[in-house]
Amino acid sequence: MLHYIDLTKVWTLLEFDKYNPLGFSSSLFLFLFFGLLLLVTVINNNRAKVYILIAFSLYFFYKSSGTALYVLVISAVLNYGIGYLLYGAGRESLKKVYLWGGILANLGALGYYKYTNFFLETMSSFRGGTFEAIDIIMPLGISFFTFKALSYLFDIYYETYTPSKNFGDFFLYMVYFGNIAAGPIDRAPAFIEQIRENRITNEDISRGVFLIMSGLIKKNIIADYIGLNYVDRIFDDPLRYTGVENLIGVYGYALQIYCDFSGYTDMALGISLLLGFKLMENFNYPYKAKSVAEFWRRWHMSLSSWLLEYLFTPMQMGMRRMKMMGNALALLITFTICGLWHGPSWNFVIWGGLHGFFMVFGLITSKPRAALLAKLKLTDTKIAGFLKTIITFHFVAFAWIFFRAKDFKIIEDMYGQIVNFFKPGVFPQFIQSYQMITAMMVIGYLFHFLPEKVSESGYKLVEKSPLLVKSAMLAFMIWFAWQFMAADLQPFIYFQF
Amino acid sequence: MISDKLKNAILKELKLDDFKIEDETKANQIPGWDSLNHINVITAIEKDYGLRFKAIEVLKCKNIGDLQKLVDSKQNK
Repeated sequence: MLHYIDLTKVWTLLEFDKYNPLGFSSSLFLFLFFGLLLLVTVINNNRAKVYILIAFSLYFFYKSSGTALYVLVISAVLNYGIGYLLYGAGRESLKKVYLWGGILANLGALGYYKYTNFFLETMSSFRGGTFEAIDIIMPLGISFFTFKALSYLFDIYYETYTPSKNFGDFFLYMVYFGNIAAGPIDRAPAFIEQIRENRITNEDISRGVFLIMSGLIKKNIIADYIGLNYVDRIFDDPLRYTGVENLIGVYGYALQIYCDFSGYTDMALGISLLLGFKLMENFNYPYKAKSVAEFWRRWHMSLSSWLLEYLFTPMQMGMRRMKMMGNALALLITFTICGLWHGPSWNFVIWGGLHGFFMVFGLITSKPRAALLAKLKLTDTKIAGFLKTIITFHFVAFAWIFFRAKDFKIIEDMYGQIVNFFKPGVFPQFIQSYQMITAMMVIGYLFHFLPEKVSESGYKLVEKSPLLVKSAMLAFMIWFAWQFMAADLQPFIYFQF
Repeated sequence: MISDKLKNAILKELKLDDFKIEDETKANQIPGWDSLNHINVITAIEKDYGLRFKAIEVLKCKNIGDLQKLVDSKQNK
């Protein structure tokens, strides 16, 4: 049988290929993952499991980043060392030296691999010269593992965490494949404790299977379909479409990025549950938020809580004499950095800055807005809640244009078409010619805005089923998602960060 | 044990009539104590006690019990 298999082809398939990372919904990943699951179950030894997971994670990383693997390994070793020194340093002044050394080393590496070309391009555009990009391979998920490492150092510095003495445990925390590519940005205390516990309940298995299925629906069916067949076309050339089509494109992208990123996270959470790890929650129906601040408590929660804990609060404490101004300044700085974290482009910086501005605006107007609602006798009413949700959604959705558009011309064109060439009469035609897109968007938003118990009842159905039925459900969903996939697999939007 | 003075300073700033605050209570469990209001509560406590915290001292507090210990240690100096 074996001689029928072309080993060179197998080798090519397994080799580093930056255009073919091991996405969670790729057939190669699923094949290898079930092998991994089988292996750790059969061996059934916690220490062996740690090393098997490390080996698998290093391979996962190598598959998309090749030799840049050394960056991750050095980062893990270096941060473990700095953590060790930081914990042992008695004097505050010495601790500060170690902490700042750690911050500079981590941000230095992140800056070099992710922002060098952006920096050079910006400099050359100021000088008016030509710019040639330097060929730097960006290690997979460098923004994510850098923030994981920094949170580890901060927790030791704030004395809220006693570092693990076991290097293997910390190494797994840093390299774990389940959250390396696009988060969640887990924290060392919770993750490392789970390595030691090594407990998988029946509920974890049910929840894991449910989350993988939900991730496949969100990512491979909804996000990819509306992205490839509608949103991309609008964002490629907005002038070819009316304002109403552009507006639907904006709503479409808001749904696409949510389904893409939260679908990816669902799969990461599900896969990890099957291996005995509960990763951090990352999404909680973000478009249900009644303010932009609340949106950030529901969207990419592992990043927003990181920024709150390690950046915003220390800055705010330092500027507390400035009272509201201090808050406003800390918000603007935090969200501009949040934007830059997403990618080396001014679009992201403006997108982050816009969110900071929305929140400062919300902060300054909170009292007059509350007074107005009280005057209209609308305080805490359903109608006020509904209006707040609609307004917040539009602030967020229109800011996404900056996130998605490839240049400022596209942004200008989209806003221009929506304002000057709306043509609402096109709407019925849109529904008629884009039935599938309409259906996907209605289903996507409906599931998002329906009460959470609807999704919970889906989970209950999985939970009640015997293991064999669960496996069949999962196999069916994988098959179904593959049927749906367009010719090319869409990369996870968040992979590039 | 959380002293009445600390509890009242917090309740007054957050405009709460009463709320059970224990050593293990975390700031975000107290209604109105959110990330933006955080500095207002801290400055109100500093004002009531006539003392000043270093930023790092407050950042190290995991819960209200830690904040109480911080206030006590500052007062005993």
